[in-house]
Amino acid sequence: MESVKESIVIDCKSETVTSINQMIRDFAKNNIKEVIIENPLARHNLGVCITDPIHLIYNGDVGYYAVSLCDKVTATINGNCGWAVGENLMSGEIVVNGNAASSCAASLRGGIVVVKGEAGARAGISMKGGTLIIGGNTGYMTGFMMQKGKMIICGDAGKALGDSMYDGVIYVGGKIAELGNGTKVEEVSEEEKDEIKSLLDFYQIEPPPSFQKIVPNGLLHHFNKKEFRVWKEIL
Amino acid sequence: MERNLIRKSKVWSPEKIEEIQEKAQIGRYRIRGQATKRMDLPSFDDLVFTPAGLSRVPLEGYRERCDTKVVIGEGKVKRPLVLETPIMIAGMSFGAINAHSKKALGIAATRCGISTCTGDGGMHPIEREYSEKLVYQLLPSRYGLNPYDLKKADAVEIVVSQGAKPGTGGTLLGHKVSEEVAKMRDLPAGVDQRSPCRHPDWMGPDDLGVKVEQIREATDYEVPIFIKIGAGRVYDDVKLAAKVGVEAVVIDGMEGGTAASPEIQLDHTGIPTISAVVEAAQALYDIGMKHEVKLIIGGGISNGADAAKAIALGADVVYMGSAMLIALNCQRPIYIEDYHALGTEPGACHHCHTGKCPVGIATQDPELMARLDPTAAAERVENYINSITMEMQIFARSCGKSRVSDLDPTDLRSLTLVTSYITGVPLVGLGGKKPYFASLDHGSSFKDLLKV
Ligand SMILES: Cc1cc2nc3c(=O)[nH]c(=O)nc-3n(C[C@H](O)[C@H](O)[C@H](O)COP(=O)(O)O)c2cc1C
Ligand code: SF4
Repeated sequence: MESVKESIVIDCKSETVTSINQMIRDFAKNNIKEVIIENPLARHNLGVCITDPIHLIYNGDVGYYAVSLCDKVTATINGNCGWAVGENLMSGEIVVNGNAASSCAASLRGGIVVVKGEAGARAGISMKGGTLIIGGNTGYMTGFMMQKGKMIICGDAGKALGDSMYDGVIYVGGKIAELGNGTKVEEVSEEEKDEIKSLLDFYQIEPPPSFQKIVPNGLLHHFNKKEFRVWKEIL
Repeated sequence: MERNLIRKSKVWSPEKIEEIQEKAQIGRYRIRGQATKRMDLPSFDDLVFTPAGLSRVPLEGYRERCDTKVVIGEGKVKRPLVLETPIMIAGMSFGAINAHSKKALGIAATRCGISTCTGDGGMHPIEREYSEKLVYQLLPSRYGLNPYDLKKADAVEIVVSQGAKPGTGGTLLGHKVSEEVAKMRDLPAGVDQRSPCRHPDWMGPDDLGVKVEQIREATDYEVPIFIKIGAGRVYDDVKLAAKVGVEAVVIDGMEGGTAASPEIQLDHTGIPTISAVVEAAQALYDIGMKHEVKLIIGGGISNGADAAKAIALGADVVYMGSAMLIALNCQRPIYIEDYHALGTEPGACHHCHTGKCPVGIATQDPELMARLDPTAAAERVENYINSITMEMQIFARSCGKSRVSDLDPTDLRSLTLVTSYITGVPLVGLGGKKPYFASLDHGSSFKDLLKV
């Protein structure tokens, strides 16, 4: 096996987004273990479509689509994120030591995205797998049309939580402003509690005293004229 | 004695009565495949070409070439999409149609030097294998999207909406969500699938600009990017899409096909293709981007006349779905008892949504699928595409144009006032001027009459 090299620094100040992405891809291909991205300056599309293993450390705020369309990548973002951090991640891990704007982990397919602070609207929208952990509160339509996967929200959740979800599970530690259509609340099993606790301990997130579990109620799985009330709410 | 004549009403037509009674049964809007069945839409049939005579010279058939090639993204991306003829096979999802149909369409498109498109639901390995040029759709649902397939695409099409159901997401009824379809879409098998109508990670045109940059980064600026929009607010939408910086805008008129849409929406949303092409072309002219951004037009295109007229009105390429399925075998009078079992007959079928397609196209049922032989079907589609190319060339040549893309609105005349008004193409007979007798009336003197 080729030897694994250590860390390389990219200073975004003097580079274009395209050259930064190209460098990261080349480093990943050449078995560099870690890239430190200095001065991201909230630019968009930093770390797109990286599909070889590498660890990215962003020192500062990032714009839209950081670490998006990636596979096998791990990343630590020491700052806040614009829209859609971790969009369509296939596998790997993203830890945001800050807040995330709208649509974090949109269409997540695998791996884990951890937002230590707050998340905006539509967190985990259309999730197709993987795990999303939010240390703080989330906004409107979180988990909309979720298909698979797991979401753990330690704070409060905005309105329309899990609306139209097909499958998957959402745990909420704080208050739920309003449950989305086609969802129901279930008991959290001891096994699930242990799993949530160990995940939060691992990421050093203070756990709330208890969680509610939201799953689909199945009423939107098949049209049923007797459930007009539920179907009237959807497009 | 009073005779009771049997008279049908327009207000309460048999169709309306049937519709009311069906809704009274099922408790929801009707869902079906194919396209709008409205009979009153303005169409390309309302235009005719004005071939060359003495004022223009037609091209000779044999030696005088008539070029059909179109290149999308030339000078802008590393791998522009080259189409040997200005036709693209429109996106039809794996799920709506099956792998046999995808294979046949791929073989035919490859032989004709044109592209196919994944549609919703991801890139099926069979269609990638058989389509030399494959457009990868990125839809609100994001079904089957992954970075590896993105890199395998020859163009990426960001779908905002479809002509058959603008403003809503997709529908795939449970009996078509087979194990394989469910796996590709990450859904529970057998579920009535509805997909979102808004993208999960961008909202308006400014965000879309960032999204386009993301796809450029992901595809290394190699392939062209399109935006597809169902025809509604075409003039404004096209301007916004073009400003985002894509290589092509796809406009899908209200006649556009589907595998499943609410019927009420098929008939009452969007604008007809003929009006959409004019608005779209005008929008590109008005922002000075007509030559920079290619215009792809779909929705009810059925032959070389429709295609050539759309091009004359400003389109660069036509985008065809339903007609390709018909060339595959859709509506063919075979297995007639199965059409009857669905309550329909060949020529009137719109039952793609049921998953029980009698000819094995819009179905995932292995027994029905076996009815479509991909090799024979590919040959039919190839023949059909070639026929459209030849038909387009007939019009271009007879109008004295050595390239199909040189057709323009001055080659056309309108048969109806409405179409003339919509397109700006003069009515037949006027030649843009008043007739010689226009100055005469009942009061004209005998002398004046003799002058004409
Ligand atoms: C069976 C079928 C499935 C379709 N699936 C999709 C799809 O997945 N995504 C999409 O953007 N359009 C889809 N369309 C619409 C076509 O891409 C295209 O816009 C339309 O067919 C053009 O109109 P035409 O059918 O009259 O040629 C589908 C159409 C048909 C007939
Ligand atoms: S024949 Fe098949 S593809 Fe054609 S309209 Fe009927 S169900 Fe749809």
